[in-house]
Amino acid sequence: MTEATPVAQKKPPTTMAAKKRQEAIAGYLFMAPALVIFLVFLIVPIAAAAYLSLTNWNGITPVFDEEAFSFVGLDNYSDLLRGYHTNEAGEVVKATTRQKDFFIALKNTTYYVLGVVPTQTILALILAVILNQRWLKAKGFFRTAFYFPSITSSVVISIIFMWMFTRGGLVNTTVQAILPNYESNNFVSWLDDPRGIIHILLEQFGVTRMTVGDWASNRVFGNTLWEWISGPSITMSTIMILNTWTTIGTMMVIFLASLQNIPGSVYEAAAIDGANAWQILRRITVPLLRPTTFFVVTLGLIGCFQVFDQVYVISSGGPAKTTYTIAYMVYLNGFDRSAMGLAAATAILLFAIIFTFTLLQRFIVKERANV
Amino acid sequence: MRKVHLLTMLVVLALVISGASAALARQQVTITLMGWSSSTAENDALMTQVDAFMAANSGIKVNVNLVPEYDPTIQAAFASGDPPNVFYVDSSRLPDWAEAGVLASGEGKIENLDEHYESLLEAFTYNGTLYCPPKDFSIMALQYNKDMFDAAGLDYPTPDWTWEDLRAAAEALTGTDAEGRTVLGLVTPPNFERWLPFLYQAGGSVLNEDWTEVTLDSDEAREALEFYVGMARDGIAGPPSKVDAGWGGEAFGQRRVAMAMEGNWVIKYLLDQFPDLNWGVTELPRHPSGGQATMVFTVCYGVAADNDYPEESWKLANFLTGPEGSTMVAEEGFGVIPPAKSAAEVWLQAISEEYGAGFLAGAPYAHKWQFPVGFGEVFDTFNAGLQLAFDGQALPEDVIVDTAAVAEEVLAR
Repeated sequence: MTEATPVAQKKPPTTMAAKKRQEAIAGYLFMAPALVIFLVFLIVPIAAAAYLSLTNWNGITPVFDEEAFSFVGLDNYSDLLRGYHTNEAGEVVKATTRQKDFFIALKNTTYYVLGVVPTQTILALILAVILNQRWLKAKGFFRTAFYFPSITSSVVISIIFMWMFTRGGLVNTTVQAILPNYESNNFVSWLDDPRGIIHILLEQFGVTRMTVGDWASNRVFGNTLWEWISGPSITMSTIMILNTWTTIGTMMVIFLASLQNIPGSVYEAAAIDGANAWQILRRITVPLLRPTTFFVVTLGLIGCFQVFDQVYVISSGGPAKTTYTIAYMVYLNGFDRSAMGLAAATAILLFAIIFTFTLLQRFIVKERANV
Repeated sequence: MRKVHLLTMLVVLALVISGASAALARQQVTITLMGWSSSTAENDALMTQVDAFMAANSGIKVNVNLVPEYDPTIQAAFASGDPPNVFYVDSSRLPDWAEAGVLASGEGKIENLDEHYESLLEAFTYNGTLYCPPKDFSIMALQYNKDMFDAAGLDYPTPDWTWEDLRAAAEALTGTDAEGRTVLGLVTPPNFERWLPFLYQAGGSVLNEDWTEVTLDSDEAREALEFYVGMARDGIAGPPSKVDAGWGGEAFGQRRVAMAMEGNWVIKYLLDQFPDLNWGVTELPRHPSGGQATMVFTVCYGVAADNDYPEESWKLANFLTGPEGSTMVAEEGFGVIPPAKSAAEVWLQAISEEYGAGFLAGAPYAHKWQFPVGFGEVFDTFNAGLQLAFDGQALPEDVIVDTAAVAEEVLAR
C-alpha cells in the first residue's frame, strides 16, 4: 500500500449532551464485567430467593418444572412470624413449631450478637493499641499470631475446639489441674449443656421456673417469657468464645491500620498539654477511630447474624435447640425439612434484620459524630 | 494458499474425529452413580462391584461419584434438573424424594424380589409403590461388655431379657472405674430413633397404619419414655456426652458404659479401634409383656425419574443388589449387612457368628426408620424435650404431648 487513503475522520460530538452520553456509555462499558458479576451472583439470587419465599417449593423437584411449586403469597412469612396461615378455603393451618423455632433462633442469635460483637470489638481495639506501642518488640510475630485464626478454615478450628471442649478434654483437665475441687464427675459439658447462663445465674439466687411466678409462663411469639430470658446456653457460649477468638485478628488488623493513620503530632500535642495515657486513649484515639469502629461493628454484626458453620460442625442446633441460629434454620428448613420456600422466607427475614441493624447503627454513629 | 489448505484439512479432520467419537458414544453409554463416601474399604468394594458390572456389560460405562455432604449435593442436582442416573436413597429420605417426583418407580423393574427381606422392601415402598432395591441395612441390637458382666457376677444378656432385666443389670453395672471416672450401665442417646424400639416394644406407635392419624399420645408411649428417661434420672444410664463420648459406640469402646444399643456399624468400629475389648451382642430386650421390636436403618439404589438411560440404570441397580453383586460385598464382611438373604449368610460367616448373629436376628421384626415429609420438626421437638428430660427440666409426659401436637400439625399441612 503506497497510496494513503484518506481515513474518514470521525466527527467529534457537537453538543454537550451527546458528549456526556458518550462518556456514560464508555463508563458503563468499563464497569460491565463487574456489573455482570454483581448482577448474576448477587442481584439475581436475591431476587430468586425473594420470589421463592412466596412459594411452597420443596427444594427437590426441578425448579423449572411446571408443577414444581405453587404461589402461596405471604404464607411462609405468616408461619414464621404468627405461627399459622389461612388456606384458600379460609381455614387456619397451624405452624406453631415453625414460629417457635424461628424465634428460638432469633433469641439465640441475639444473645450471640450481644455477647460477641462488643467483646471482639473491645478486645481487638486493646490488642491493636498494644501492638501500636513503640516499645513493643517482635510486632510482626504478634500480628501474625493474632491474625492467624482468621485465615484458618472455620471448620478446622471448630473441630479443634470440639476436642478441647469435650467433657474429658483439654479445657476441663486444665481447670482440674488448677482447681483440685473440680472433680471429673462434675465437669461442665461445654458442648452438650442446654442450660442458659442467665438461668444458671438466677438459680444461684434461688430464682427458678417454680419460684419466679406465673408471669413467666406467658407466651410471646410461641416461647414463654422464662425461655426468652434464658441467656445463651453453655454450648452456645462455647461457640461464642470460639468465634470471638477467630475474628479478633481481622478486627485488630483493621484497627491497627487506622491507628497508624493518626498523625503523631496529635499525640505530641496531647502530651505537651499534660494528658496521661488513659486520657489520650479516651479523648484522642477512640474518637479518631470512630469511622473504623463503625466499620468493625458493622462487619461484626453481619458476621454474627450469619453464624452457621460453627453451629453446623459443633452442635447441629442442639442441645435442646439452644444453638439454632437464623442461618442454621435456613439450612434446616431447606435441606432437612424439604421446605425451600420457608427457607427462602427465613433468609429474607435475616436479610431484613441485618439491613435494619446496619442502618440503625449508621444513624447512631452519625448522631454521635454531630454532637 | 498453503495456509488455507492446511486449515481446510484441519477442519475436515476435526469433523471426522468428532463424527467417529459420536458413533462410538452411541455404542458406549455412560451413567453416573452418586453416593456418600464410607470407609475406604467399603468404597473399594463398591468399585470392585462396578468393575465387575462393566466387565459384564461392555456397552455401559459407570462413573462413580462419592461425595461428602451427600444430601445438599444431590438435592441441588435434583433441583437443577440434572440428577445422577443411580444414587443412594436413605429410607428416611424416601418419602421426600418420592413426593417430589424425582424417583423412578421400581414396579416391574426390580429383580430378585424374593431374595430380599420383607421389612426392607417395605421400607422402600411409599404410597403403594415400590421404588428401589435395598443396598444394605443395619439393625439395632444390645452390645455388652463381657468383662464388666463377669466382674459384677452377672449372666450375659439373652434375647429373652425384659426391661426389668436391663434395668437391674444397668443398676448393678453402674459405678466408677480404676481412674475414678463414672461408668454407666447403659448409654441412651437423646434421639427419637433410639427410643422408638422401646415405644414399639410397649405396643405403642407414632402414627396409624396409613399415616393419617397421630397415635403417639398414648399410655404405651408414656411408659416407654418414662422407662428410658427414668434410667438416666436414676443415674444408671445417660447420653454419650455424660461419659465424655461423641456417640454410643465410642462410650462403649472406652469402657465408660457396660451396655450400648447400636446398629451393626459398630462391629467394624469396635474391632478396629478397641481390639482388646471383650464384648458380645444380642437382640434388644423385650417389654415385660413380651413385645419385641428393633429398628432397621437401610439404604437403596434409587433410579432417577429424569433419566436418559433408565434401562441401563436399572441393570446396574439390580446387579449391585442381586445375589452375585451383594455377595461380593458380603465376603468383605463390612459393618453393613448386604440386602440379599443368601448374601446375608455369607456376611455372617465373614464377620463371625459371634458378632453378627445378634444383629441379623432382628431383621424379621425390625421397624423401618421412615416418617412423612416434614417430620424433621417432630424429631427435633422430641430430641430437644428428651435432652431436657434427661436433665430433669422437662417431664416425659410433657415431651410426649408436645411431640404429638407437632406431629398433628405437620400431618395436617
